[in-house]
Amino acid sequence: MSNTQSEWSAYLAQMEQLLALELDEERRAELQLQFSRIAMMAEPLMRFPLDPRLEIAGVYKA
Amino acid sequence: MKINEMPIRDIQQALRSGQLSAREIALNALNAIERINPQINAWTTVTRQRMLAEADKIDSLRALNQPLPPLAGIPYAVKNLFDVASYTTLAGADLLSTNPPAQRDCFAVEQLQHAGGLLSGMLNMDAYAYGFTTENSHYGTTRNPHDVQRIAGGSSGGSAAAVAAGLVHFSLGTDTNGSIRVPASLCGIFGLKPTFGRLSRSGSHPFVPSLDHIGPFARYVDDLAQVYDALQGRDLHDGFQAEKGNEPASPLLEKGLDGLRCAVLGGYFTTWCDNDARQALATAARALDAKDELLFPHAELSRSAAFIISASEGGNHYLAALRDEPHRFEPHSRERLVAGAMIPAAWYVQAQRFRRHAQQTFSHLFTQADVLIAPATPRSATLIGDQTMEINGQPLPIRASMGMLTQPISFLGLPVVSVPLRTASGLPIGLQLIAAPFNEQACLRAARVLEAQGITDARPVEN
Repeated sequence: MSNTQSEWSAYLAQMEQLLALELDEERRAELQLQFSRIAMMAEPLMRFPLDPRLEIAGVYKA
Repeated sequence: MKINEMPIRDIQQALRSGQLSAREIALNALNAIERINPQINAWTTVTRQRMLAEADKIDSLRALNQPLPPLAGIPYAVKNLFDVASYTTLAGADLLSTNPPAQRDCFAVEQLQHAGGLLSGMLNMDAYAYGFTTENSHYGTTRNPHDVQRIAGGSSGGSAAAVAAGLVHFSLGTDTNGSIRVPASLCGIFGLKPTFGRLSRSGSHPFVPSLDHIGPFARYVDDLAQVYDALQGRDLHDGFQAEKGNEPASPLLEKGLDGLRCAVLGGYFTTWCDNDARQALATAARALDAKDELLFPHAELSRSAAFIISASEGGNHYLAALRDEPHRFEPHSRERLVAGAMIPAAWYVQAQRFRRHAQQTFSHLFTQADVLIAPATPRSATLIGDQTMEINGQPLPIRASMGMLTQPISFLGLPVVSVPLRTASGLPIGLQLIAAPFNEQACLRAARVLEAQGITDARPVEN
């Protein structure tokens, strides 16, 4: 589940191309830092077992 | 008592008896804003002509002995992401400053105008509502009226500072992850984040539609409740509004704790804060007879999921502009938005499904208590420019972590009132009073109990 930094670099490079964004090296470094923080949060969340029938949340009903 | 220190009900009385005119109140507020705002940088626009015109309408009603609406002659201001007719909606962003002016007021401002409020202008915020400090590179930093070297909190920092400085009686902000409760805590005033879907968001600039709420700030609980009541109303244009009728809270405020069970929300919430926050929590818990401590085991994951939803929806919202006009973005948040736009769909959907799971888990706590008490921020206001704060022995980034205790609760969409206490050093610190969906009146009643006992302190800063 845990991805290495170089794997994330490759993923972000692909996304940069796919989303037609043009970044310089300084921005890429900051992007990598920001994305790493999110990836760290995503890891335990993705491991959390959810009921297969569980739907996304909506607004509360009256 | 000075006009700016009078509760709304006293102003209403003074207007009815002829002791004050609405124009006098408006001019008093405008003069104070002109004098004090340069020190705190809360307003980005002052709507002087509109405010005076609204005041004159109230005075016309008085001249004809007509009944006055509930917020007649009350000065207020709104975060600059709410549409105000004839002004460009900024959402704290240089990027939006070249947009055409709004054609009409947003739903909330329409409600407040109908209720007789006097709009003084629009208030500073973190760009795009993405941040907890209101350190805005383009519009400047909003300063905390209690200590201008410190942050006001964010993202509704201008809204909190304006009320804390005593310049308006109430203001409007928005709260996606804590953007009402964090600045209310750091600036020492009351703030209400209602149930997700309770109040219409129509005509406000979105940040994270799955999580965005609007709500008021005030210095008295009764004022907060009256503004909340004025904001209620069904809006068919808001696809996220819950199908729920109006439930005025003001008439219930003096019921006290009658039938309300209070408990402390422990675990994550009492771990990730300093001793000032714990002391404030203990004081309020005693006053509310909250002897039990309850746990929400998914607090940390809830924060993570809220973070992912926010980054993803926020990033997607600004993707085209990130591509075409990256130089116009707030440098503090530009690459955070880019990172959010690149989040894999599986993470986002997992976060949205986990939200439902977390709501179901948390709902069990309400079988044991009606109001849960937790710190609103890990600590009191930090110095402007500081990047990290040490909490629980760990250095944490302030811009992302000042909302770590509010984020899990807005993720669940629960109603919360933030109440202001003081630390030993005199700086404000807030507590969250959290209730079940659509039970805003419970949070407000508990807040009123603390206010009546003198536990809270929302006095305006002496100017």
